[in-house]
Order: sequence, then C-alpha cells, then structure tokens
Amino acid sequence: MQPSLKVKDDRTGRYLPVIYPEEIPFWEAAKQRQLKLQRCNSCGKAWYPIGPACPFCFSMDFAWSPMSGRGTLHNYVVYHKAWTPWFEKRVPYAVVQVQLEEGPRLTTNLLDCALDAIRIGMPVEAAYEDVTDEITLLQFRPASAGK
Amino acid sequence: MTEVARALRDRTAVCGTGLLIGEYPERTPLSLAVEAYQLALDDAGMKRGDVDGIIMLSFGSDYDRFLEAVGTDVRYSYQGWSHGRFVAPMLQHAALAVATGMAKAVAIVHGRRRKAYGQTADFEMWRQGLGPHGESPAYGALGPVFGAAIAAQRYFHMYGGSNADLAPIAVAFRKHARLNPLSVRSDPMSIEDYLKSRWIIEPLRLFDCCQNNDGGACLIITSAERARDCRKPPVYVSGMQGVHAGRQFHNLTLPGLGVAQQEVYKYTPTKEDLYAYEMAGITSKDVDALITYDAFSPLVLFGLERFGFCGPGEAREFVKGGRIEIGGELPINTSGGLLSEGHVIGWNLFIEAVRQLRHECGERQVKDANIIQYGSFLGESVIFRR
Repeated sequence: MQPSLKVKDDRTGRYLPVIYPEEIPFWEAAKQRQLKLQRCNSCGKAWYPIGPACPFCFSMDFAWSPMSGRGTLHNYVVYHKAWTPWFEKRVPYAVVQVQLEEGPRLTTNLLDCALDAIRIGMPVEAAYEDVTDEITLLQFRPASAGK
Repeated sequence: MTEVARALRDRTAVCGTGLLIGEYPERTPLSLAVEAYQLALDDAGMKRGDVDGIIMLSFGSDYDRFLEAVGTDVRYSYQGWSHGRFVAPMLQHAALAVATGMAKAVAIVHGRRRKAYGQTADFEMWRQGLGPHGESPAYGALGPVFGAAIAAQRYFHMYGGSNADLAPIAVAFRKHARLNPLSVRSDPMSIEDYLKSRWIIEPLRLFDCCQNNDGGACLIITSAERARDCRKPPVYVSGMQGVHAGRQFHNLTLPGLGVAQQEVYKYTPTKEDLYAYEMAGITSKDVDALITYDAFSPLVLFGLERFGFCGPGEAREFVKGGRIEIGGELPINTSGGLLSEGHVIGWNLFIEAVRQLRHECGERQVKDANIIQYGSFLGESVIFRR
C-alpha cells in the first residue's frame, strides 16, 4: 500500500481518508479485516491518533499490534446538514467516538444501528467497509449478542 | 508570578481599533485588512509611521504583502494561523513586543472573505491525526461545529440537560446584538424561535452556530505612557495567559469531558489555570463583563467553568434568568458575540472589550465597566482595565 493524498473518490464523490506514510500498517490491517494500532514496547500502552512515539512514555519503540476490536460507544452526534452532495442521501447520519477496550478512542461510524437506538455506553465491535479497491474503512457495529 | 509579569501589569495598552463586519462582495481580505488598519490609526490619532510592528492573522494576503500595500516598513513582524484561539496569543505577543522595546506600536491586523482568496481551511480537515476541530472527512465528521457538538453531547451526558439549555445563550447574545449598530443580525430571537431552528449536528441547532460574514479588524497596542497621548482613553493590558493544549485540551471543549483522548473528570481550575488573574492582581469577582469565544453556544458554558465562574456542570443553570445579559450579574459578549454581532475570528470580541472600557457603548454599556476579561474554554485570557 502507498501513501495517498486523494481526498475524494472521483467516481462516487465520497470523501476518502488521506493516508500518511506512518499510517500504512493501520490501513493494510483494515483491508485484511483487522484492527491494529501501535503498542508501546516500553510501557505496554496502545495509542491513537497514529504517531511516531508513545504519548504516555515517549518511547519510539513500538509494535503494530492487533486490538480486540471490542469497545464502548463513548460519544455520538447526528448530522442533519449534508456538507457535500454525497451526504445528501445519507443524512441524518451519526458520527461516533468509540473507546476501545485497550483505551484509545476512535472517531468512526456505527453500522447496522438505528439512530434512536444509539446509547452512550453500548458495547460495540469492529466492522469493515470497503470504500475503494485500495481503502477499507474501520467501522463499528453494535456488539453481537452472546459474545 | 514572575518579576517580569509583575512589571508588565498595565504597562501596555490598546490605543486604537478598527472593525468592519458584513458583506463586502467586491472586496478582498487585503483591502478589508487595509481599511481596518486605517480605521484603527484614525481611532488612535496615529499615522502610519507611528507603527513599527505588525502581526497578521489573515485568510488572504501575507504580512509582507500587507506592508507593501500600506507602504510601511517595520522592525517587528509576525504571522500566525487564523483560528479564534490564536487571537489572544497575537495580542499577547504585541504587548510583549512593546513591553520589551522590540517595537513602539504593534498593529495586529486581519481581513477575511468567507469563500475566497488564499484560504486553506477546507484542507485542514485532512491533517494527520484529525482536523483542527476533530474532523474526519471519510467518516462524515465535517465542519468546525463537529468539535462543539461532540463536546456538548458529552457535557449533557455527564451533567444532564439538553440542547434547550443552550437557548438562553443564543437569546441573550441576540438581545445584545440588537443594541449594537454594527451587528450582522438585528432581528429578534425568542426561546421559541431558537427551539424551532433546524438541527445542524444534533445536539446543536442553526442558532447555536455563529454568523458567517466578511470582515476586517485591527487593534493597535502601544506603551501605557504613549497610549495616554492618543485620541481615546487607554485600555490597559493587565494580565494574560496562554492557550492550553495537549491530549487533555481538545479544541472546542473543556478538559475532562472525554472528547477524543481526553480523560473523563469534573474540571475545576487550579491556581495555575487562573494565572491571568494573579498577573492582573484581581479575582474573577472583579470582572465586570466576560468576553468569551462563542463560535458555537456550548463554548460559553465551557468558558464559564474554565475560569471558575461556576462549578462543574453548573453553567447551564448559570446562564439562565438574565444573569449573562447586560444589567445581569455577569454580562457576557455584550456586542452580540460571534453568534449575533458577526464572525471576525474573535477580533471583534476583543474590540468590544475595548469599546466597553472606553464607555462608548451607548445603550449596551455595562455600567461603570472597569475590568473586562477575555477568557475562553482553552484557557487563553487577556484581562483589560480602564
């Protein structure tokens, strides 16, 4: 996978993530339906946003590590205004922040969940959405019952 | 407090202001900045040659293009990045440059057209590690209002309450704007009007969001001594403190709300968090009016709690019953603020502090105003004294 500065899919008009060089392992894992973040080899903590050093102990010795994919819905908002034509067919939609079991919080969407069923504190699990041939977005959905 | 801080109190002053707010379809950011500069020079009773420092926060031309345009050479120049939180630091830099003799008078200048000419704002959303207000375009997390909406949601989750608790803020500021001839919005707004306004990002409505207009602004800072010889009464810079930043200080929120990577706890300010009061030799009880960054209404709640005007979770009650209106216990944003006077990136908020302390506000004058604080949710503050 290569870094990408493309901000919009020419075909669909959907906004894309810019892929910075040091984020490539994250996006490669997402394409494989895995959630990987950096975990510090000194203090053991995982962090986000992706960056060159551990923000807790400032070590630069880390490993890209699989996360459980389990977390809690920590925050959400509901967009009623469509910022671009692509969003016009999608409003109202939610943007959420998920707190992973491992600690970091990610800004994402919640798939397979009605807007009025969203609750702060609900258990969620990682999901994946292919948005282009190259890019798969990490998403979340309500945790499966019985797990 | 340091020796230098003690020596700085009331040693520099705002001596001139210029402000343009509204629609200027035929103009550029450069021409709005130049006109604001002319207005400020005239307000101070100064000439171009009296100014030997420039700080620019422009959405258009750079500081050196501006200086070429106004035909002035200076010995102190600096350019910052145009976001509301960086206005206070620019004023602070100007005061420090004057106090240390690097310049005799510094003009801080800004010009902005909404949709145009040299601004990069749209691309900020794709910065590494999320945009300046937490934006993440691929997930539809778009617009600066996102930062305020996620913060408000956490605030209501932690302390109770809902969107309706923000209505008294929007309504109070609209009342203030109606007493201000420069305001972009002078139509009345009731609580019912507020509650009928459309959702933008729930839990925030259209009337929780600032105006979006063109504008130009300039403040000139000089020594206290020189300011006393200017046309209008000096407005002294008494105390100041910086923008707090880091994992605990996400933009458009208060520490402790758990936005992005913030820890979750009930924030109350420490002594160090209130350094500006110490520098000014006052407490929050001495503040006659508070001016706070109000690009979105929840920021007013956060500003109040940031400086301990009320305890954690108490601001949504504090703002009710006219307390924050002119004539109330703590008038806030007496010009109408960014919500109703207009959005000039916060420059107009500072200019209102100056107008109030010169006692030139007419119907909206805060009686006997002597000390006004600019203080916002990220902790940046300037305390002004008449």
